[in-house]
Amino acid sequence: MAAKKKISKLKKSRIISQTVFLSIFIFLLTKTEYHGRDLIAYPVKVFLELDPLILLSTFLSSHTVAVGLYLGLIFVAITVLIGRGFCGWFCPLGALHDLVGSLKKQKKKKPKEETRLDKYGVKAKYYILVGILIAAVFQIHLVGILDPIALTIRSFSVGISPAFNYLVHGFFDLLYRTDIGAVAAVSEPVYEFLRNNVVSFGRPSFQQGSFIGLLFIGILALNFVRKRFWCRYLCPTGALLALISRFSLLNHKLESEECNDCKLCLATCAGGARPYPEDDWRGSECVLCMNCHSICPTQAISFKFGKPEPSARRTDLKRRYVLKAGGVGLASLAMFRLNPVRETGDALLVRPPGSVEEQEFLRRCIKCGECMKVCITNGLHPTFLQAGFEGIWSPILISRIGYCEFNCTLCGQVCPTDAIEHLATEEKQKRKIGLAFIDQNRCLPYAFKISCIVCEEHCPTSPKAILFEPETVITDEGEKELKMPVIDPEVCIGCGICEYYCPVGEEAAIRVSSVGEDRSEKNRILL
Amino acid sequence: MDRRSFLRTLSVGLIGARYVDPTNLFASSPEESTILSIVRGDDVTLATTKALEPLGGMSSFVSRGDVVIVKPNIGWDRTPEQAANTNPHVVATLVRLAYDSGAKKVKVFDNTCNTARRCYKRSGIEEAARGAGADVFLVEERKFKTVDLGGEVLKEWLVYKDALEADKIINVPTLKHHTLARLTISMKNLMGLIGGARNLLHQKLDNSIVDLATFFKPTLTVLDAIRILTANGPQGGNLADVKIGNTIAASRDQVAIDAFGASLFGMTPDDFPHIREAHARGLGEKDLTKVKTIEQSLS
Repeated sequence: MAAKKKISKLKKSRIISQTVFLSIFIFLLTKTEYHGRDLIAYPVKVFLELDPLILLSTFLSSHTVAVGLYLGLIFVAITVLIGRGFCGWFCPLGALHDLVGSLKKQKKKKPKEETRLDKYGVKAKYYILVGILIAAVFQIHLVGILDPIALTIRSFSVGISPAFNYLVHGFFDLLYRTDIGAVAAVSEPVYEFLRNNVVSFGRPSFQQGSFIGLLFIGILALNFVRKRFWCRYLCPTGALLALISRFSLLNHKLESEECNDCKLCLATCAGGARPYPEDDWRGSECVLCMNCHSICPTQAISFKFGKPEPSARRTDLKRRYVLKAGGVGLASLAMFRLNPVRETGDALLVRPPGSVEEQEFLRRCIKCGECMKVCITNGLHPTFLQAGFEGIWSPILISRIGYCEFNCTLCGQVCPTDAIEHLATEEKQKRKIGLAFIDQNRCLPYAFKISCIVCEEHCPTSPKAILFEPETVITDEGEKELKMPVIDPEVCIGCGICEYYCPVGEEAAIRVSSVGEDRSEKNRILL
Repeated sequence: MDRRSFLRTLSVGLIGARYVDPTNLFASSPEESTILSIVRGDDVTLATTKALEPLGGMSSFVSRGDVVIVKPNIGWDRTPEQAANTNPHVVATLVRLAYDSGAKKVKVFDNTCNTARRCYKRSGIEEAARGAGADVFLVEERKFKTVDLGGEVLKEWLVYKDALEADKIINVPTLKHHTLARLTISMKNLMGLIGGARNLLHQKLDNSIVDLATFFKPTLTVLDAIRILTANGPQGGNLADVKIGNTIAASRDQVAIDAFGASLFGMTPDDFPHIREAHARGLGEKDLTKVKTIEQSLS
C-alpha cells in the first residue's frame, strides 16, 4: 500500500482508549467472583450501567430503573457532543472487533462501489433497534440478547472464560502430572497465582456454555466478511447512538482541494460512514475510529466542531421499513406471550434469591450472565426455553450442579437492573426460592431401608428444614432403626444443598422445584 | 515395625501369655498407659498447650524435620461462635507448637462441605493458622490418589496426597451434635482427608469412620470442646444451640477421645456403634475407667 505507516495521534489515542477500557472490562470481569469478601467491590456491571440502550429499554419495559443505570446518560451527552465515541473508543466488543479485524488481510485493490450489503445492511441495525424498543414498550425485554455489553459479558461468563479456565487448569494439571519436581516447582506457584487472581477458582461449566461461546466467536468471525460487521449492520446500541449522533457537534470534514482521490479512507473506515466523497458522508455511521484521518496521505480529513450534520447526510431510513420493523416487533409480542409458563410457573424455574416476581423479572433481566459468573457454586445457569423465548438465557438455579450457598448474596449484588435485588444476608437466608421434595421411590431409607440422611446433615436453616422420623424396619440382618427424612415446608427455603449432596446419582432423591417461592402469589403450595 | 521390635513385642507377648492373666494382658503392656489429658479453662491457647503436657508435650509427637498435618474441622461456612468448625486458636496453637518442636512444615486443610473458600475464611482458621506459619491450602481435585484403605467398607478410595505423604497427622476435631452419628468427634473428622463420593459413606457410616481411623491412625488427637454445638449439627447456625464447654482434651488414643466426647453429652461410649467397633478392632480404649485421666484446671 502506498499509505504512510505513520499512525495519527488521534487514531493512536483511540487505540489506547480501547486497550484501556478492554483491560478494565476484563479486569472487572475477573473480579466478579468471590474473593474472600462478602461484598464485591468492583463488579463488571458498571459497563452495562454506562450503556444508554440498557437504560432506555429497561425504562420502557419495567418503568423502573436501577439507580446505576442513569450512568448511561453520560454516553448520551458524549454522543451529542462528539458522536459515537462509545462504539469506537469505549465498547469492549468494539475493541475485540478491531482486534479480530486487524487479522484480516487488506485487499490491495481499491474499494469498489458500495455493495448491496453496505447499502442495505447498515439499516438493519436500526430496524433491530426499533423492534427491540417496540417490544420493550409492550414489556417484552429482548435487549440483552443483542446489546453488545450484555452479549459480551454473557459470552465471557458462560462460554469464553470457562473455556479459558479449562485450558489453564488443564495445562497446569498436565505439568503437575509430569511429576517432575523442577517443573512443579515453577508451575505450581504460577498456577496458584493465576487461580487466585486471574482464572475462576473452580472449573465452572454452564448449560449452553459452548453454544453461547461459539455464537460469540461466530460474531467475531464476521469481521472476516467485513470489518466490524456487527457494529455496521447489527448492533442495536450502535443504532441508538447513531440516532443520537445526528445532533453531534463534532463533524468530519474533507478538504476537496487537498484530496487526491486515493479513496484509502473509504477502505479503512470502520463503520459505514463513507468518508469520500464529501457528499457521501454519513455521520451517524461514524464510530470516530480516526482511521480515515490517519491514513489520508494529504491530511485532507479533519474532525471539527460545528453545527450538526445537514439532514441529507444522515442514514436514510425508510419510514416504511421502520413501520415494518415495528410491526414485526408487535407481531412477535403475541408469539412471546404464548407461553403457558407465564401463568402456571415451572418446576425448573428456580430463580436466584432476591429475584422479583416473574413477569417483572422478565421485564428487567437483560441476560448478561453476571449472576452466573459470580455464583460461587456454579449453580446459576442460562435457561433455554423454560421461561419462554423472551426469558432465554435468564438465570436459573440447577441444584444438582450447584446449590445456593446460605451465606452468599453475590448474585443480587452484581445484577445491573435489580431483576435480582441485593438482599441483606439475614433476609436472603429467609427468602424462599423453592421447596425440596423427597422422592420416596429413590430415597435410600424409604426405598431400600438403607440409612443415609445426608440431606438433613447439610440443611443450613435453623431449625433444619429437613427433620427425620425414626422408624424400625426389619431387614435381612434383623431389626434396625432407620431415620427417615421429612421436609418442613414452612422452613425450607429451596437452597438445594440437599439435592446437590444427595448420594443418589443423576436424578437426586430430593429435588427442589420452584413452588412456594416467596416472589410469586400464584405458584403456591401452603395455605 | 522392624524385626527387632517385632521380636521384642512377640517375646513380651509370649512371656506375658504364660505368666499373666490373658484378660489383663492389655493392661500390663506398655500401651496400657493410655493417657487422656483434659484441661478446663477459657484461655484457649493456654488450655491447648497445657493439654499436651501430660502427654510429654508436642515434642513427643513431632520430631525435627517432620511434615505435619494439623487437621481441623473446616467443613462449614460458619463463624467460630457458631461452633460448627474447630476453634481457630486451638488450630493456631497446635501449629505453633509443632513448629517449636522442629516440624519442617505444618499443613492445615479440610475437604469442606460448604464452598471451601467461604469455610476457610469464615471459620477464622485460614487466617489464624496462616498467622502461626502453617501452609493453609484449599483441596484440589487433582491431588486425590486412589489407594487401598483396606477397610471393611472402604476398599479403594480417594485420599488426599498430602495426607498420604505426611509424617504425622494431628487430628483436631470439634465436639458437636450430628444426627446420624449422633455426635461427630474425632474419628468422623478424618473424612476431611478423603475425596470421592463421600455422601455414600452415610450408608455405612460407623464402619466407614472406623475404617478411616484405622487407616490414618493420627499421632495425636486434640478435641476442641471450647464451644459445643448441641443441636442442629453438624453445621448448626443458631447461637442458642451453642454451649460453652471451655474444655480441651488430648490423647494418643482417638477412641478414648471419642468416649470422652460422648461423656460430655452425658452418653456412654456404648451408645455409639463406631466407638464400640473401634474398640473391638483394637484401635483404642473406650472404657474411660481403664484410661489414665489427668485433669487440669486453669482457673
